[in-house]
Amino acid sequence: MPVTIDYSKLRILPDSDTHEWWAATRQHKYLVRKCNRCGHKWFPPNLPACSKCTSMDIDWFETSGKGVIHSYVVVTQPIVGAFIGAVPYVVAIIELDDCKEDDGSITRVAGVLTNDESEVAIGLPAEVLFEETGDPKIVMPRWRISGTATNTWKFSE
Amino acid sequence: MGALTDKYCIVGVGETPHMRPSNRTTLSMACEAITNAMADAGLQASDIDGMTSYQAADSTTSAHVATALGMRLNYCLDIFGGGSSTEALVAHAIGLIEAGYAKTIVVFRSMNGRSGRRMGGQIPGGPIPVATASDDNQFNMGWGWTTPAQRFGMSAMRYLHDTGCTTKAFAEIAVAHRYHASLNPKARFRQPITIEDHQRSRWVVKPFRLLDCCQETDVSAAIIVTSRERAYDLKHPPVFIMGGYARTMTENPQWNYSRPVIHYVAGNYGWKRAFGMAGITHDDVDFVSCYDAFTFTTLIQLEANGFCGQGEAGEFVKGGRLQIDHELPSNLSGGHLSEGYTHGVQMVIENVRQLRYRADDACPGWREGKHTYDRSKGCRQLRKARICCGMAWGWEAQASCLILRGMAA
Repeated sequence: MPVTIDYSKLRILPDSDTHEWWAATRQHKYLVRKCNRCGHKWFPPNLPACSKCTSMDIDWFETSGKGVIHSYVVVTQPIVGAFIGAVPYVVAIIELDDCKEDDGSITRVAGVLTNDESEVAIGLPAEVLFEETGDPKIVMPRWRISGTATNTWKFSE
Repeated sequence: MGALTDKYCIVGVGETPHMRPSNRTTLSMACEAITNAMADAGLQASDIDGMTSYQAADSTTSAHVATALGMRLNYCLDIFGGGSSTEALVAHAIGLIEAGYAKTIVVFRSMNGRSGRRMGGQIPGGPIPVATASDDNQFNMGWGWTTPAQRFGMSAMRYLHDTGCTTKAFAEIAVAHRYHASLNPKARFRQPITIEDHQRSRWVVKPFRLLDCCQETDVSAAIIVTSRERAYDLKHPPVFIMGGYARTMTENPQWNYSRPVIHYVAGNYGWKRAFGMAGITHDDVDFVSCYDAFTFTTLIQLEANGFCGQGEAGEFVKGGRLQIDHELPSNLSGGHLSEGYTHGVQMVIENVRQLRYRADDACPGWREGKHTYDRSKGCRQLRKARICCGMAWGWEAQASCLILRGMAA
């Protein structure tokens, strides 16, 4: 079952730290922040300084939008009206493949899967896709399971 | 031992009933809780010269309360915060009194947590019709991931994955805290439950069921802190502040999810300081309070504060260990899960009452400390209540702790 979100009930307000990130999703690019001094990468993009070296000389890094599901929840009770028709839906934390740093730092992001609960498991690969919202200024990243893996783990009731 | 261990005391506690809905203002409820705490301590409004509170743009202020109750304060401050703020404001009060800024300080929280602004943005009638997402909400509202249950569920799920723990461990906590609520006339939910009741309750957000979640209520609660010298003159034997940590944070606190282990929560960074300050070990602790916004927050904090090893909390809580008359009684008022939701103040209040041997239970003589210790007759006073460790939670990345002792310890 595709998970359908009613974006007409959601208003995203980009700010001076994030408007470039939202502009990139309109071009179907998934960005994370990157430090020009030390190369550290991070999410979410509204954090305006590098947590490793405190530099505010920062830029963007275009990720491949691929990663591995690190954890997930299955929302069965909607809180935001846009998601009333979407329950049960899966929100996942995805560890990005191309943001691993030499000192072990990793970048994980969050998003709603297009897959339903029966398909999700920790350890599965996922990739980003971009969904029109009706608001021409906002294109929303979603995630879909993109393959199989060994050693996956599924919540059992 | 810390330089200030046992020099400062909690001398008064008070609250309103837990209401759903209150049909009252947060100012009215705060005045009731604070006057109850003053009466409990044997203090007048003129004895209070400091007041602090915490809130989420959902409450009255110290200045309003001081005006309503006719107090002239030497110090007041209202901070932004939720869970883990009570214990931090107690630490803050110690510093202020020690430095001479004030002598006797009220700490309060007042919230219409059920009928007013609810955590995660839900409105009283149900889902938010049209949600506006700015600031941090740009990166959670759009994926329908805003409430504490939805957020903490992510670290809970990974914990289950990493440790092999199951939701039966969550059930142990729900059952224990509900049993304690059954002994507390003030509690909202007093019907005892079983592990099976927990497992059958409906899902809110997997891995959390309804009985994993706290009971939002409209309530105000207050405590009063002063120095040992003044405490001895007041109505009750003092409850001494032995040590603690205050809104201690992990690294990367505003985005927990890129941390190496997302369930390695803030308590891990605090408990050695708190126990060192108090000069005790875990074996000295007779009972605990452990912030139960969700069953999982109690579970993970027991392990984060060294009561068991990493990954062992699921085994640790089995067999009713957290129930009264067992090894480590937890949240004796029923906690957020069953008594009601105060953002943590009530846990400190219950601990104070237990340490005074004055739990307000069904025993006719509780005010004089006369308890039957018969649970079938509704007694919830511990037989041995000398030292308590209170562990509080803001979110994965923020925690506080308050180790208290009574006169008997």
